[in-house]
Amino acid sequence: MKMQITSSDLKSALRRVAAHSKSKREELCAADAQLGDGDLGITVSEGFDACATLDLPEDVGKAFYEMAKTFQSVSSSSFGTLVATGLMAAAKETKGRTSLDSSEIAGLLSLARDAMLARGKSSLGEKTVLDGIDAQAKALQEGSSAALDTAIAAARDTVETFRNRQNQAGRARIFAEKSKGLPDPGQLALVVMTEGLR
Amino acid sequence: MKKILNDPQNYVDEMLDGLVAAHPEIYRAHAHRVIVRAGEKKPGKVGIVTGGGSGHLPVFTGYVGNGLLDGCAIGNVFASPSAEQMAETIRAVDAGAGVLCLYGNYGGDVMNFDMAAEMVDFEDSIRTRSHAVADDVVSASLDEAEKRRGVAGMIYAFKIAGAAAERMADLDEVTRLAAKASDNVVSMGMAMTPCIIPQLGKPTSTIADDEMEMGMGIHGEPGVWKGPIKSADDLLDEMFDTLQKDRPLTAGDRVSVLVNSLGATPLEELYILYRRLAARLAELGVKIVMPLVGRYATSMEMTGATLSILKLDDELEVLLRAPSNCAFWKV
Repeated sequence: MKMQITSSDLKSALRRVAAHSKSKREELCAADAQLGDGDLGITVSEGFDACATLDLPEDVGKAFYEMAKTFQSVSSSSFGTLVATGLMAAAKETKGRTSLDSSEIAGLLSLARDAMLARGKSSLGEKTVLDGIDAQAKALQEGSSAALDTAIAAARDTVETFRNRQNQAGRARIFAEKSKGLPDPGQLALVVMTEGLR
Repeated sequence: MKKILNDPQNYVDEMLDGLVAAHPEIYRAHAHRVIVRAGEKKPGKVGIVTGGGSGHLPVFTGYVGNGLLDGCAIGNVFASPSAEQMAETIRAVDAGAGVLCLYGNYGGDVMNFDMAAEMVDFEDSIRTRSHAVADDVVSASLDEAEKRRGVAGMIYAFKIAGAAAERMADLDEVTRLAAKASDNVVSMGMAMTPCIIPQLGKPTSTIADDEMEMGMGIHGEPGVWKGPIKSADDLLDEMFDTLQKDRPLTAGDRVSVLVNSLGATPLEELYILYRRLAARLAELGVKIVMPLVGRYATSMEMTGATLSILKLDDELEVLLRAPSNCAFWKV
């Protein structure tokens, strides 16, 4: 099933993600406090809150750009900058168009993943949000019709797959041993963001 | 905590207000926590911007000025400014010839400057180049030199790139010279007391009253050893020998040297260090050009010093001697 996504679709999606992020804010902060400074729920919630109030341009590329800019200016934490980097990759790819096709989402996720890996100087398998995005890009490539459910399942499965491994990137790396058995906060944030799209 | 401040929340903004009020002929507040040169931009000149956390004055903001930098994005104490602040700084200084982002090698700053470069490319079609200075030899081994942190030696890169831009060199040439200065400077520091971030109100690390830490970073990053305080000559020898092992100097070489206070260490003690440094270099047959002794890159009220050595050739020496004017370094 193909669907055209316009700038106004993005705007309503942002409102849903913002509302869902707000409801999961404390949960994400608590998960982050185990391994970091405990503000991830605030970063995600405030980032999407600010994006949801944007007056998005019709050009979807420019709309992604506005989101990137807003997200990182609300929080200059490294997670905020990584999300902004992913949005920026989508912005470059879709600049000058007024819609994108739902079949392009897997490709955009792959571009976002690669840009974020380069910016964070990290690799897949280090127990970060990138593993979740990678799983989503791969699951969607396989062309399931229930795209959103597929993406949510891929994000949730990633959290469980990595739960008993050690964090090898970012601040959580300092707690490598302790991180075994704990869900990665960034991977959890991806679950929240994707669930919010429903 | 004993600090002169009003509300810790306003520490950075009130500091910037004061800096601009004291030197309006040099600095101008362009936007929130973005400082640029006072006066008109020179059309066609390459812009040079830097950025980083507060707490290191004169680094980073202080080096905005003629023959030096064009703009600076300022973060909280020891925290990176946002990519949007950096992008705004780039936009403010671009005079049509592109902009070099020249800053210290810290993860957050690198990520945010890379993001800022993408933003101004996307929105404004401004061409940028980037160079992160990595001069602190104890922060990573020589085979991983690209992982080293940027400390006091970065001011030489500011000076040399700034002089090249003032002579209307193009973006690639200014970048090449910034990288050349940066590749030829090595630094090492030591601390005797840690520093206090105003918003935390307590030290980020501890050093016992009768101890010091050799190699400590400018945010209190761990060094190579902690132990009893050594004499000035022994301290200088250890730092000099470490730098010498990293980038050996031989008879006939010319260098500029910086003996820098991390904040609380008085000039008197810097000159005691310099005395020994001059003797060591004379013994080697190395000539000193334009030595700097003073507070050039600090870490709040940390007691301690850094030693930086820049190896010169004709090209670098000419640019080092070129005129420059900021509140903290006039040539």
